[in-house]
Amino acid sequence: MADVKKHDTPMLEELKKGPFPSFVDDIEAKGLKGKQECLDLLGQLELSYKHKETHWKHGGIVGVFGYGGGVIGRYSDVPDMFPSIAHFHTLRVNQPASKFYTTAFLRKLCDLWDNRGSGMTNFHGSTGDMVLLGTKTDQLEPTFYDLTHQMGADLGGSGSNLRTPSCCVGKARCEWSCLDTQAICYHLTQEYQDELHRPAFPYKFKFKISGCPNDCVAAIARCDCSIIGTWRDRIRIDQKAVRAYIHGELKPNAGAHADRNWGKFDIQKEVIDLCPAQCMWLEGETLHIDDSECVRCMHCINVMPEALRPGVDTGATILVGAKAPILEGAQLSTLVIPFMKMEPPYDEFKDFVDKVWEWWMEEGKNRERLGELIQRKSLQEFLRVTELKPIPQMVKEPRSNPYVFWSADEVPGGWDRDIKEFRKRHAA
Amino acid sequence: MAVNKEELKQKILEYATKKAKHKSKMYIKDLYKADPSAKPREIKNAANELVREGKLEFFSSGSTVMYGVPGYGKGVEEAFEEGEE
Repeated sequence: MADVKKHDTPMLEELKKGPFPSFVDDIEAKGLKGKQECLDLLGQLELSYKHKETHWKHGGIVGVFGYGGGVIGRYSDVPDMFPSIAHFHTLRVNQPASKFYTTAFLRKLCDLWDNRGSGMTNFHGSTGDMVLLGTKTDQLEPTFYDLTHQMGADLGGSGSNLRTPSCCVGKARCEWSCLDTQAICYHLTQEYQDELHRPAFPYKFKFKISGCPNDCVAAIARCDCSIIGTWRDRIRIDQKAVRAYIHGELKPNAGAHADRNWGKFDIQKEVIDLCPAQCMWLEGETLHIDDSECVRCMHCINVMPEALRPGVDTGATILVGAKAPILEGAQLSTLVIPFMKMEPPYDEFKDFVDKVWEWWMEEGKNRERLGELIQRKSLQEFLRVTELKPIPQMVKEPRSNPYVFWSADEVPGGWDRDIKEFRKRHAA
Repeated sequence: MAVNKEELKQKILEYATKKAKHKSKMYIKDLYKADPSAKPREIKNAANELVREGKLEFFSSGSTVMYGVPGYGKGVEEAFEEGEE
């Protein structure tokens, strides 16, 4: 056994006894192979359980030279008891688009981290980064050098920066994808390198790209600017396959629920009646869809993937202002552009982003997300600065405020009135 | 409005140094006040350049990044290394 010291951790021992794999086992195993940091980490966790308060302090350091993000400083407040984790900084490494990498890359990354840090990782962080957990200040620059020079990898976003853009698997593995999500993600990452690495904003800003309205990266629930694939023509219907589903020759949901007997597939009950827009109907065994009413819930396409497919005139819906804070729960994003073609070099989208950022950087309070700014200043104001035309899809609920607020330039002559002229017509 | 970058950097540095006597860490928005006629992005670029030159420094709260002037308040590392028992 390597020369390491294991702490007495009776409470953590309890966590090993459950039916599920335990993180305690994993971290301890790593520690016993010679990583004192892992054992000290468990020791400090035991102490935190005992005291019922954390013994981590975080903040301070932000990155490597020239970067203002990518490293999250963490320090133990009991370094005398656990000296190997006195510094325990986290590095966020920008993941490849859709998280495609080779096992050779992963092995190399793990070897690097075994050498430079604790060896512990988190694949992946909520924003998608490959998270390297725990290293000392003097190892930050060498780790960054190795990452960039040996691995061709870069740090991700943290702090008041653009956070690492992330996307779903897209067209690489999914037939429903209406967008080349990897291309968009990579393009935005390269285009906004400065915003990604240097603090620019009142608070964090996230882009997420989903290829279709199934929204596998949950863009609608957690990012400031969601790019979600959609189509503006008609859902493609293969009537022969529709009949095959009706007669049980094809399994609904591609057999995903086939492990239990749910009875015979009932297209009326399981698809048509569940359509939120009620825009589908059967004539005999022919399925009809009123596409103008479709709200892109994807249910029918998910249930009958061989019969129904997204249209071919594809692009993206742009939504803004989501956030998912742990304590308050998610605020969903608001639709602002129903359809954008999203073709390289994405100038239309980047023009929109520039207007949004300019406004947010000017008006946003410290630590205020874009969605909160829109709530504070109104969607009307947001549409004015982004020069978007209001459309019915933006209306969340019927108006309850009886007053209409006009701005001066919407009223002939603005707000200036000649009081003498007024008094000629109206006695005081 | 186009502003001379060197002049802007000087203004930011003067403003930050003056402010650092009372409050050693400031948000990027505080630095906007150094030159209200400059655009936020110009201020950001100039402030980041000052960091690269070592005249300003970043300080992370954990989730937000702030700016400090080296020598004022606690430095990035010393804040965590002194006075802890």
